[in-house]
Amino acid sequence: MEALTRIAHVSARVAAELTPAELKANSAAQMAGLAYGLAAIGPGIGIGMIFGKAIEAMARQPESAGMVRTTMFLGVAFTEALALIGFVAFILLKFA
Amino acid sequence: MFSTQLAIQVVEKLVPAAGEGRGFSFPPINTILRWKDVVPGINKVVIIAILSALIGTVLFLVASMKDARKAPKGARNLAEIIVEFIEKNIIMETMGKSGMGWTPFLLTMFVFIYLCNLPGIIPFIQMPATARMGIPAFMALLVWVVFNATGIKHQGLFGYFKNVLFPPGVPKALYILVTPIELISTLVVRPFSLAVRLFANMLAGHLLLVIFALLSQSLIQAETMRFFLIPIGVLPFGLLIFLTAFEILVAFLQAYIFTVLTAVYIGGATHPEH
Amino acid sequence: MRVHVTTLQGDLVEVRVSSEEETTSGEATTTAETTGPNPISPEGKELIWGAGSFLVFLVIMRVFLFPKLKKGMDARYNGIREDFEQADATRTAAKTDVSKYEAALAEVRAEASARVDKARQTLDEERSAKIAEANARIATKRAAADAEISAARLAVRDQVAAAVASVTERTTQLAVGKSPDAGVVQKAVQQVMQTGARS
Repeated sequence: MEALTRIAHVSARVAAELTPAELKANSAAQMAGLAYGLAAIGPGIGIGMIFGKAIEAMARQPESAGMVRTTMFLGVAFTEALALIGFVAFILLKFA
Repeated sequence: MFSTQLAIQVVEKLVPAAGEGRGFSFPPINTILRWKDVVPGINKVVIIAILSALIGTVLFLVASMKDARKAPKGARNLAEIIVEFIEKNIIMETMGKSGMGWTPFLLTMFVFIYLCNLPGIIPFIQMPATARMGIPAFMALLVWVVFNATGIKHQGLFGYFKNVLFPPGVPKALYILVTPIELISTLVVRPFSLAVRLFANMLAGHLLLVIFALLSQSLIQAETMRFFLIPIGVLPFGLLIFLTAFEILVAFLQAYIFTVLTAVYIGGATHPEH
Repeated sequence: MRVHVTTLQGDLVEVRVSSEEETTSGEATTTAETTGPNPISPEGKELIWGAGSFLVFLVIMRVFLFPKLKKGMDARYNGIREDFEQADATRTAAKTDVSKYEAALAEVRAEASARVDKARQTLDEERSAKIAEANARIATKRAAADAEISAARLAVRDQVAAAVASVTERTTQLAVGKSPDAGVVQKAVQQVMQTGARS
């Protein structure tokens, strides 16, 4: 009987951590991590391609390096925005 | 009976009692980002913003007070380097010679954002003012107002919106698709992405620094298994230093990108592509 | 905090857990996290103060500091450009001076060489004149000597002819006994001597 009360106590503790609000927060945290992970895939590839192509262009025509660099940063900024929106979604899901 | 005992023991091991306070736990985000008022209405972020404007003013005041005829050095040299950077690398590359009138606006913007970003890596301050949404939101809103006003001033209200909504060189049938996209991208996405880019970059950097600082602190100040945890704690500390150096670059890059995008938007509004 | 616990009999019983720190601290953190403002939403005072300080900074820069700085920069750049232009002008002036000097030098050199040539020419002329004079003198002297020599030779021949004639006259007188006509003898001697000289 003593053991049963202890089980009840422990399972009560386990259940206490999973009230509906906490359950929601839990799944939100998981989704937040997933959301940011997914949001980072595309921009990661994109930024890699932008930098690679920019380096190719600069190596081919070093005299136009300044223009290429400015355009490269512009492209990176636009691509990166997607990942950052994912990051904002992460913050919103996790903490809002 | 024995197996129940074992199960209880296992469960007790797996579910530590709350409030034991051992190990690593991330504090609630608002305790990292929200600062208490020092004086009513003024908190740390506000102080950083005011100080940024003040430091910028003092820098350019000292620079402009010096004798212009001599070879520049010190404050004047720094100020002239920044001015030439804005003129050569931002305005000439995006707007051309006709955009030179925008130099003071873009210069102020660049200096202010950079000085707001920089406290993120200064020890004992460690808070970029742009990691709160207030300043980026205002700057993006200002840029939105400025480039729309420039477009209306240069092309007229009707001409500007015609160029924005019905970009020339597109087949007429595609306007059904292009016009809503252009409307949203120009009038909504531009300021939104401008603000979010700056804010999220600085917030992410700040959170990274906080995470690695807390991790190295909790490892180095561990109470159990010190001989094992303290050497491990050196690793996140090294990464913390590396990330701090990286954040210097990010602080500059974000100020640069914000200014370049502003220049691009203003340039596009001044000279529509035909 | 209310939790559902399954009893041994299989009933679902709601139990109110009021155990120690768990409820208080847990609820405190949840309220702080959920009821606190969203970390993304801009905070009013930060926005207003940031806007204010930026706008003040912008106005100060636009109206006072930047024009002054820019004026100084432009003035210095213009000064440097003027200095460059001045240096260029000086360099071109120096270059023209140098070319002028070189032209003058060439002129002088040409004049000098012309003079030298002229002098050499006059010298040559004088020398050749003198040489011609000397040659002429030598020629006259040689002619005089030649004349003297031929005169002397003629005189000697005449003497020889006279001697031969007298010898011939004497031998003829001795041989014939009567002296021959002096004119004939002379003529014969003359003839023989001339043929002898000729042969």
